Amino acid sequence: MRSVAGRGVTRASLVRGGAAVAAGGAALAVWPRDTISARSAKQDAEILKFALVVEDLQSAFYAAALDRGALSGELLEYAQVVAEHEKAHADHIRTALGASAPAAPTFDFGDTIASPESFASTAIKLEDLGLSAYNGAAPGLTAGALADAARIVSVEARHISWIRDIVGKVPAPRPTDKAISAKQAKAAIQATGFVR
Amino acid sequence: MSGLGGAPDGPNDVLGMRLGDIDRDGAIAEAVAGLHDGDTSRAGFLRGALLGSGALLAAFAAPASAAGGKVRDISILNFALTLEELQAAFYTEVERNKVLDGALKKQADTVGAVERAHVRAFRSALGRAAIRRPHFAFGGATEGADAFRKTAVAFEDLAVAAYKGQAPRISSRAYLASALAIHSVEARHAAWIRRLAGKSPVAGPFDEPLSRPAVERIVAQTHFIMSTTSQSKGPKFTG
Repeated sequence: MRSVAGRGVTRASLVRGGAAVAAGGAALAVWPRDTISARSAKQDAEILKFALVVEDLQSAFYAAALDRGALSGELLEYAQVVAEHEKAHADHIRTALGASAPAAPTFDFGDTIASPESFASTAIKLEDLGLSAYNGAAPGLTAGALADAARIVSVEARHISWIRDIVGKVPAPRPTDKAISAKQAKAAIQATGFVR
Repeated sequence: MSGLGGAPDGPNDVLGMRLGDIDRDGAIAEAVAGLHDGDTSRAGFLRGALLGSGALLAAFAAPASAAGGKVRDISILNFALTLEELQAAFYTEVERNKVLDGALKKQADTVGAVERAHVRAFRSALGRAAIRRPHFAFGGATEGADAFRKTAVAFEDLAVAAYKGQAPRISSRAYLASALAIHSVEARHAAWIRRLAGKSPVAGPFDEPLSRPAVERIVAQTHFIMSTTSQSKGPKFTG
């Protein structure tokens, strides 16, 4: 079974041994300073760690939704395809970070994966969050890291477009996409309540 | 699939949009201002400018960090402008030809309005440094739904790859933030038209960049651009 808990087993054992209440905050503690300062390899790593939190969150969400089995038709196809992409993104970033990569947090998606409607609205929310966080952080990356991250960013945008079209929303309603700061992204993730 | 205006954030969000509305929710404004935190006078200047004239333009108005970088940035912006002009002219012409209906027409109308907004933003940002508007001839590409679909898929995927190739070369962070904000919109367009064309909206977990010469070679092969020496006020559609 591709359980979410299984993916985060290292983190989970840490959490059980420590202060569970603070775990959500600990998982988010890897996020970079809000202000983008001079580009450096060190800052690249900080940004990649925060990107990894987002990718782990998305990856776990789709895995959990597939486990729950409430999806069918094109929404199921979407979840299957995008689950693989988010897993590939997380693996890619984890490899890039090497030993400094944080373990995946554990997540609880509650009822959001129980119906196609709540799955779709949550997926749109998480994809929007990921894209705007990437767009906000990317200008702080060195050229090489930016080139690599950009290979992921447009795939996230394609995901949003796809699922918006499936549920009858205009896929690209604005001429520019939002960019949010790390601080805003962190607050948005905490607000989901998904990080245990 | 909803009809026109069926979705809560329908195409009226972009149709008839004015340049000053390009960043109505202030997201880019915040991002750009955030980039300059720690330099309060600059941030203050930018925030003031953003309120007046739209975030994208204010971002473009920020100076590049070095003279050499600025020259290259202008060249990159003009390259992007050429691609936006190409796309805008393509969608405008297919709209005029009235050969689309249903979901495809909705896509073309919406995306056309966005590409025209991108053109206006780049032109305003570049001012007198902007290239002249090229002449285009799309031949049969705008004369039927099948040809339109095929060409639109190619254009949008090309734009995504082109922005991705240029982003790491941009010196000014403000320009970069704006280019990234457009890059992902092009990716949305690509996924949208790919789905309408019966293709997977997302071919794989990673999108690959294309270099400027590679993009220019592909564009040249289309023979859609007739010249770059137009002096007229508006585009002349010869297709």
